[in-house]
Amino acid sequence: MVVIFWTLLRIIGKDDLKSMQTTTTVQQDFVSTIEANKGIIFKICNSYCPNAADREDLAQEIIFQLWKSWSSFDQAYKLSTWMYRIALNVAISFYRKEKNATSTVLMGDHLIELSDEHLEEGLETNLNALQQFINELKPLDRALMILYLEEKTHKEMAEIIGISTTNVATKIGRIKEQLKQKFNKQD
Amino acid sequence: MENIEIINLWKQYDEKLEKSISLNRQIIADLQQQKAKNVLKPAKNIKVFAVVAGIVYVAFLAFLVLNSLSFEHIFFVASLSISIVITLVAIGYYIYHIKLINEIDNSESVVQIQEKLALLQASTLNVVRILLLQLPFYSTWYINFEWIKESPNMFYFLHVPIVLLFAIAGIWLFKNINVKNMDKKWFRFLFQGTEWLAVLKSGQFLKEIESFKHN
Repeated sequence: MVVIFWTLLRIIGKDDLKSMQTTTTVQQDFVSTIEANKGIIFKICNSYCPNAADREDLAQEIIFQLWKSWSSFDQAYKLSTWMYRIALNVAISFYRKEKNATSTVLMGDHLIELSDEHLEEGLETNLNALQQFINELKPLDRALMILYLEEKTHKEMAEIIGISTTNVATKIGRIKEQLKQKFNKQD
Repeated sequence: MENIEIINLWKQYDEKLEKSISLNRQIIADLQQQKAKNVLKPAKNIKVFAVVAGIVYVAFLAFLVLNSLSFEHIFFVASLSISIVITLVAIGYYIYHIKLINEIDNSESVVQIQEKLALLQASTLNVVRILLLQLPFYSTWYINFEWIKESPNMFYFLHVPIVLLFAIAGIWLFKNINVKNMDKKWFRFLFQGTEWLAVLKSGQFLKEIESFKHN
């Protein structure tokens, strides 16, 4: 009897240990994915939140929502499509809110740390002008613009945004034209 | 500047970010431990509260109706019963909203999710228009046969027109309170104030989504 009980305890213990190990691996996989795609998150936050404090909140919200959906992510789909959909949805909802939600984590540390890394002066000026152009667009056009700059195909843009590829092509054509005019004016 | 140059500029920005951004792993670990947080929770809580308050209100009206079941109190019983039915429809609508909130999945396409969220917010207007159908019954519950007999002129020439006016107003508002009319003056007058701002903005955003989908 004691032997059976002891064997059962070992089996249960092993299962618990296995599940703990699996959870840790899943968590680490997620952190690695976020690390590899941190630029996407930052650029989306920057495009929807000019204010640094709000940006921190938005970045936390995006990572939290990505984590929440991580277990249901279908490997049959492209990771970047899934990631852009969640990040853009969270960013647009955040942007549309009149007042910001309370911070997800109350602490002095920052999720995103930026070290001083400067581009050449001319590039920095152009980049600021580009960022300003993006920030002036309507929230849905802004999403499309980010995807265009990230060199997504029309098909992938259509999948992320949820409109037809023809519609994507028309809109991208228009945005490109506006962009050209903006930079020509600047020149 | 040509488009290709702009794309290259973005790439350089990307490279710069790759070098300069670092993520705080401890905060990510903390975020992974959070389970109950949901940005839609406040909206859901308000709707749950509305359902509970609505049920309490219906229970109170039902209690009054059950204690007045007689032909003598026909106007009172009928008015309150109609109010109960209309309130139950509004409660049903809120329960449907809660179901929709639970079904929101941010990994669906941007237009789909943003449309669902904006519709959810703007559909508060639907509950308002349903509840406004009760308008005429606020002027009928106190009518009784004795009063009609004693002052028929006052009843037929003053009270009946008031009830009709309320009925027409209720039906008109039910038909016209919708996102399409939100730019009209009367609409802005009715829904002024900060509490309606989010609903009005959602209505505007719905129009924006609609034009984005088709242009």
